[in-house]
Amino acid sequence: MINIDRRLIKNFDWITLLVIVLLTLIGILTIYSATRPLAGMTGHSDFFVKQLVWLLLSIIALFIVTSFDYIWLYRLSYIFYGIGLLLLVVVLILGKTTMGAQRWLNLGFFSFQPSEFFRIIFVIAFSSYLTNLGKETEGNIPVKGLILFGALPLFLLIKQPDLGTALLLLSLFGVLAISKGISKKIIAVALVIGLIAVPFVGHIFWDGLKDYQKNRLVAFMDPEVDPSGIGYHINQSKIAVGAGEIVGKGFLNGTQGPLRFLPEKHTDFIFAVFAEEWGFLGSIGLLGIYFILFMRGLDTATKAKDRVGRLMAIGITAMFLVYFIVNIGMTLGMMPVVGIPLPFVSYGGTSLLSNFIAAGILINIRTRRFELFY
Amino acid sequence: MAAINKSQRIRALVVMGMLTFGFLAVFYRLADIMLIDHDWYLHKARGQQVRKEINPVKRGTIYDRRGRELAINLETESIFCNPADISSAGDVARALAAATKADEKTIYARLVTNKRFSWIERKMDTMQARQIRDLKLKGVGLIPEMKRIYPKGMLASHVVGFVNLDNKGVEGVEGGYDRYLSSKEESKLVTRDAKGNHLSTGTNREIRGNNVTLTIDEGLQYILEKNLDAAMIKWKASAATAIMMDPYTGEILALANRPTFNPTDLSNVDMNEVRNRAITDVFEPGSTFKVVVGIAALEEKTVKSGTRIDCSAGFVEVGGKRIKDDHRHGVLSFHEVIQKSSNVGTIKTALMLGKDKVYEYIKKFGFGDKTGIDLQGEISGLLRHSDKWSGMSIGSIAIGQEIGVTPLQIVRAYAVVANGGYLVTPHVVKEIRDPDGALIMKAETKAERIISEATVATFREILKTVTEEGGTAVKAAVEGNSVAGKTGTAQIYDPKTKRYSKTRYIASFVGFVPADNPRLAMVVVIKEPKGSIYGGLVAGPLFRDIANQALSYLTVPMDKTNDKGMVVLADKEEKH
Repeated sequence: MINIDRRLIKNFDWITLLVIVLLTLIGILTIYSATRPLAGMTGHSDFFVKQLVWLLLSIIALFIVTSFDYIWLYRLSYIFYGIGLLLLVVVLILGKTTMGAQRWLNLGFFSFQPSEFFRIIFVIAFSSYLTNLGKETEGNIPVKGLILFGALPLFLLIKQPDLGTALLLLSLFGVLAISKGISKKIIAVALVIGLIAVPFVGHIFWDGLKDYQKNRLVAFMDPEVDPSGIGYHINQSKIAVGAGEIVGKGFLNGTQGPLRFLPEKHTDFIFAVFAEEWGFLGSIGLLGIYFILFMRGLDTATKAKDRVGRLMAIGITAMFLVYFIVNIGMTLGMMPVVGIPLPFVSYGGTSLLSNFIAAGILINIRTRRFELFY
Repeated sequence: MAAINKSQRIRALVVMGMLTFGFLAVFYRLADIMLIDHDWYLHKARGQQVRKEINPVKRGTIYDRRGRELAINLETESIFCNPADISSAGDVARALAAATKADEKTIYARLVTNKRFSWIERKMDTMQARQIRDLKLKGVGLIPEMKRIYPKGMLASHVVGFVNLDNKGVEGVEGGYDRYLSSKEESKLVTRDAKGNHLSTGTNREIRGNNVTLTIDEGLQYILEKNLDAAMIKWKASAATAIMMDPYTGEILALANRPTFNPTDLSNVDMNEVRNRAITDVFEPGSTFKVVVGIAALEEKTVKSGTRIDCSAGFVEVGGKRIKDDHRHGVLSFHEVIQKSSNVGTIKTALMLGKDKVYEYIKKFGFGDKTGIDLQGEISGLLRHSDKWSGMSIGSIAIGQEIGVTPLQIVRAYAVVANGGYLVTPHVVKEIRDPDGALIMKAETKAERIISEATVATFREILKTVTEEGGTAVKAAVEGNSVAGKTGTAQIYDPKTKRYSKTRYIASFVGFVPADNPRLAMVVVIKEPKGSIYGGLVAGPLFRDIANQALSYLTVPMDKTNDKGMVVLADKEEKH
């Protein structure tokens, strides 16, 4: 199972590793700046140290994930998926509630969010399932698959509620299904049904939302409604970004974060802190690094040696992309606030670890693109 | 490697296209915020992060001319709150209402605004402030504020003026000299965080304004006001004004108006009380104005003191209008014309001068122009150019009608006679010193010679006799000191009926004491006295009382050694 030969090292996807480590280091610097104490006060919060420790753990995890052939992920995918669903059920029963959502599992020595890992398991399992479907379904996904990989996980996530991950899963489902080669007829029908359903479902959906989620949507539509209340996040984030101008205020010179105007400054809104300090040019640079990551991921998909590898690569890349777009989008006021972190950059141990594991799978697929072994 | 067919390649292109589109959208938005609208966002950021913090400025003290305090500061504390930090406004309002004895509803309203900063109660004494501090209410804070206190109450309120709640000078010297009393560096910009905590660690040095010394003499002011109040009661007058001035320098020694106000408590003050009538109101001066024609005639050598003027007709016709004397005088010397205040004689003299000369001298005496006193709101009075005079104007104006003057203008005109021919610029501020005592500004005497010494000396002798036996204002005579002055009575012009009121009039007396060596020039004006319609009977005694007490306050030696007869009551009064 563990197979370290010279060719693996030669083919190892150093570029992806370099890109994500670079992003994480940028993240740590920005966390450092965002959480620095105000002038005249002492005591720097240790978020950046924690993140640094998580980075080291994550790199180790990444190497472990790349050390075995990803075919094992394919083989064990349904077991993983079963465990993943189980954890989602467990978190609903035993999880601790923070800010109106039940997402965390406390294991005594540390607590983590099962949904952070479930998204990877989902990509692996759904990719495997679609691969197994073969050609005989002619682009249709059986009802069994729709329930198992669609309705069931969505239900569990919305129940928490973890709207962000639920939407991610929905988009990954779509991306993977299309990549598999779903028939055009089904896409058309889904679109029409979707459009007709929106007003009806929208009403039920709206009623089912928690107050804070409704507020976020209202605030997204019109942030100026109540600048000190629900529109506050969006306004403050846009102010931070706008204050950055072309070259930014410089590292450790940002104001919106340390002055506590910007909420979630080291997690969901970290891009705003970065943009204020590094300006338009720095932001374009950061976007550029992500662009390399995504292009590399898609390239890995096209070069993958088999179908399941291609689907997994697409799924993981799409996952990064969705997170990236939604996060930057909400920071810039283009999308509602859904509490999704910026991959690799935002503070958060579980999230960083799971992203590195996901990236590890990408690297695994690329590294073994020439290997034929069955 | 799995084979890639055509449809898969198209799919890959579609996915890459979508990815690129997503990036372009983000890029566009980023450019929009950071490059196009950045000024707006930068402004917003600064607006919320930087707050102007007002350093409590210790306003300068206002002293009278002898260094007695007329306006000082009291250290008080004000309560404010950040409504966002208040959890239970009802409880907080109840607690505060109990401690401050203010209305609970009012406090509640101030607690629940959506501002980040809201005053609750301003300028409380330190005892109350301590009580509130002990309550330890979340979101409620106290900051020191200076409260302006006028220790002498209403004394000289129209000169001293007052400040608003933010200690900005509004009226009087407080208003006009605000930039001296206050300080330019009263605010600084401090960085604040989202919770409103101020983050500057800069030193908070106390900022002190400059101290202003007035020309007012507290003692004279007190004498003036006490007598003014008594006259108001005695005559049930609607308003009154008195000004005492140093005739040589133009320094205002005392100035008061009635009605008045308490500058420390402005809760229900009305503008009628705040108005400084001494400089903002005009009245028809009546006979007091005859000084202009009298001096002009002497200066232009149109007449001499002994020139005979025939007043035996008892009237004179000007522009088709008959103006009468109270009673026939016969042929009078010019001296007697002034002493007895003959309208006919004055008008005949004016006609000898001609309207251009009369106008020239009116202007010379400063009528129709602001005196330039260092108080706000002064008006220039009502005076038409001689080109626009009607045929009868010269007659009316010569005896102080058809013209509006301020009390300050008329007292200044008499100061010319007192000081030997100089038109002075009145002022109320003597000097300004910085907190360390260094001189910043010293008022200079501005005096311009307008009349020759000889003319003034002659006229002064004539004026002296007004208050002597045979004059019109014996009641104004001062014990042991001779007074030079004139009585004026003018009907009030009613703009509604466009007529002179038969019942409402203004009594005035203007002059100076002691006549031979003047120390004080003074005017008293009483509006709508009830009971007597003669200025000499109303304003004269008031002038006398004030002058008597003022001179003894100033320990001026009597210049008439055995002349107690000056206080003899005379019932002969003049009307115009």
